[in-house]
Amino acid sequence: MATPAPAHGSSTHVALPRPIVLWAIALAGLAAAGCTFALAFTSDHVAEPGLQAALLVWITLPYVISGVIAWWRRPDNRFGPLMILAGFAMFLSSFQWASAALPYTVGLAFDVLPAAVFLHVFLAFPTGRLQTRLERIAVGAAYSAAVGLQVVKMMLGGVGPDNLLALVAEPAAANAVQDVQLVTVSALCLAGIALLVARRRSAGPRQRPYATLIVNSFGVGLVMIAVLLLAGAFELPAFETIRRVTFGVIGIAPVAFLIGLLDVRLAREAVGQLLVDLRADPAPADLRDAFARALRDPSLTLAYWLPQFESWADLDGRPVQLPGRGSGRAITMIDRDGVRVAALVHRPLDHEPELRDAVTAAAEISLENGRLDAELRARLEELKGSRGRVIEAGQRERQRLERNLHDGAQQRLIALSLDLRLLEERFGGDPEATSALERARREIALSLDELRDVARGIHPAVVSGHGLGVALESLAARGPVPIRLTVNLEARLRERLEVAAYYVVSESLANVGKHAHAGAATVDVARSNGQLVVEVVDDGVGGADSERGTGLRGLADRVEALGGRLRVWTPHGGGTRVRAEIPCA
Amino acid sequence: MLAEDSVLLREGLARLLDDAGLDVVAQCGDAEDLMRKVKSHDPDVAIVDIRLPPTHNDEGLRAALEIRADHPSVGVLVLSQYVELGLALKLLADSADGVGYLLKDRISDVDDFVAAVRRVAEGGSALDPIIVSTLLARRRSDDPLAKLTPREREVLELMATGSSNQGIADALVITLRAVEKYVSSIFGKLGLPSTGSESRRVLAVLTFLRS
Repeated sequence: MATPAPAHGSSTHVALPRPIVLWAIALAGLAAAGCTFALAFTSDHVAEPGLQAALLVWITLPYVISGVIAWWRRPDNRFGPLMILAGFAMFLSSFQWASAALPYTVGLAFDVLPAAVFLHVFLAFPTGRLQTRLERIAVGAAYSAAVGLQVVKMMLGGVGPDNLLALVAEPAAANAVQDVQLVTVSALCLAGIALLVARRRSAGPRQRPYATLIVNSFGVGLVMIAVLLLAGAFELPAFETIRRVTFGVIGIAPVAFLIGLLDVRLAREAVGQLLVDLRADPAPADLRDAFARALRDPSLTLAYWLPQFESWADLDGRPVQLPGRGSGRAITMIDRDGVRVAALVHRPLDHEPELRDAVTAAAEISLENGRLDAELRARLEELKGSRGRVIEAGQRERQRLERNLHDGAQQRLIALSLDLRLLEERFGGDPEATSALERARREIALSLDELRDVARGIHPAVVSGHGLGVALESLAARGPVPIRLTVNLEARLRERLEVAAYYVVSESLANVGKHAHAGAATVDVARSNGQLVVEVVDDGVGGADSERGTGLRGLADRVEALGGRLRVWTPHGGGTRVRAEIPCA
Repeated sequence: MLAEDSVLLREGLARLLDDAGLDVVAQCGDAEDLMRKVKSHDPDVAIVDIRLPPTHNDEGLRAALEIRADHPSVGVLVLSQYVELGLALKLLADSADGVGYLLKDRISDVDDFVAAVRRVAEGGSALDPIIVSTLLARRRSDDPLAKLTPREREVLELMATGSSNQGIADALVITLRAVEKYVSSIFGKLGLPSTGSESRRVLAVLTFLRS
């Protein structure tokens, strides 16, 4: 998680274009608009120059201005620059109003360009890039037809007298080329609609809201361009009206593109998908991936705040170091009710504040659950460890008690008994005294027996002292039924393992005596594949009841605390098999 | 000689043995010292506490087994706060000659204890009655012990503890001949081959009872 992913195209941070550049472009756009009006009004061949200039400015200036704003707000998105280029490219067509031959020729060459540019911009939304080969072919073909065929037409002398490109005067051929050109471009515009519909389908439900909106609003623009071009080709009388309406629609488009680009809908869509991902209760790694997708940052790191350790950690509990200032990474703190929950380490989102805020909000809601989950897991792990420690500490304490009994009370009682015996000899002649002393010695002998039983109950000292194999001999000999004991251990094992195994056998044999009504039992102890395997099998009635269950529960605790497991098979009438497997590698 | 880390008990034992006319040639408190002194004094018998420093686990037992292996002429009597069948089997793994394993409590039954010490010193054996009764109480699916009469059972118990025929006769207040009759009857019923020495008899009985 901590290793940074390789830089990714969409997530690479792009330097903000300098404000002076943006201002210069905006001013250039205004200058171009002014120029357009100047050209129209100084033209010797334009009817209604004001209207024509306004129409052209209507479709150029919004592109430039929208492009500047888009570039400013989304510096890593190529759509802004594309809109700027589109605006200036379309502006070129206004040169055809110039009276001088050269600008007139240039302007004429770019007369049909706005249609191709619009198709390009339309298909490149919202990334600024054409996404499929078909889209690139369509746009390439549109440019070729719009400019290439225009140049051919001009070479055939198909337009006015000042055309510098005219080589021959073949008006009929020029007309034919123009028809082909207009039909081709309009067909490509309609194909653009088909491509968008296809994109909408393949994007699936999650991209539909804004994709649908764009297609619905600007599919109209493409259709109108197609109609306009066909009207030109077939010289329909309503051409001029269609042209004006079409320009009107095309002029609105960049504003809509800009809104689409900057609209929080984009952020909302990312966050909406994030919430869908989160609702599916993702696995921890998927949770991080969901945020990585929402923020378009594959190297995103999700760190949880662990208050009890006062440190950051990933979901596996490994510590995470948050990057410092100047690392090029941004950190978003996720708090819940004023309590720190987690942190997202991601690419800077200074220019997408809406996205950052929306993702933060989603994270605040969802991560608390994840953190609690992680905390619960951590506690569970800790609990497992502490169960082991508690059992081990208990065992150590019992061992200490047992040793104290043996080395203290028991030794003293034996010495006392010995003293009494020596006294007995000294009072050999006094029968009353000797019988009293002997009674006392018998009492001591009984106490010693009881003490021994108590000590054995506290801790099986023979296991610690002499190993499992030796200890099991007595258990098997004292067993409630004939027992076949097989111990296959080459060396001593860790003491707590041996003690656990001892208790498994002793408790199981006690159960055999109490409940099984068995005729015989076997005890097998062996080490295999890094495991100590203890198995106690009887031929009794099976169907262990709940009373047996509690004893088995204690055994299971002991075995599980050592990372092992205890299993019991006890079918009715089929005997009982208790099997403990404890790792001992 | 004596190896016992509790000074109180060690002194008491030494006095007891001394009073009984046995010569305590050396005393020690740990296994290392014990091995050194066994080598230098070559005693008839070493009385060894099974729990000796430093860990109080199996140092005493290991020392006892070492003496059995390296100094076969030295009898070993192991004393323990608890008697375990598994340990008895370990001590008597190869033979019951000159070996004993008794509960520490037994030392206050001075006469029996001194007799056991003497037996082990002379190459015989002494096994704690608890071991024997554990073995006798053992559940068997087809119990051959059921064929024994109560008296034969008593004789078997004493035999298993290492008692000599004379010892059995004294304990049961019967004649030596009667004991011999019981012994051969028991061996017959259990299908054991008659063996000469009394300590070999212990091993045979032990092996039989354990199986």
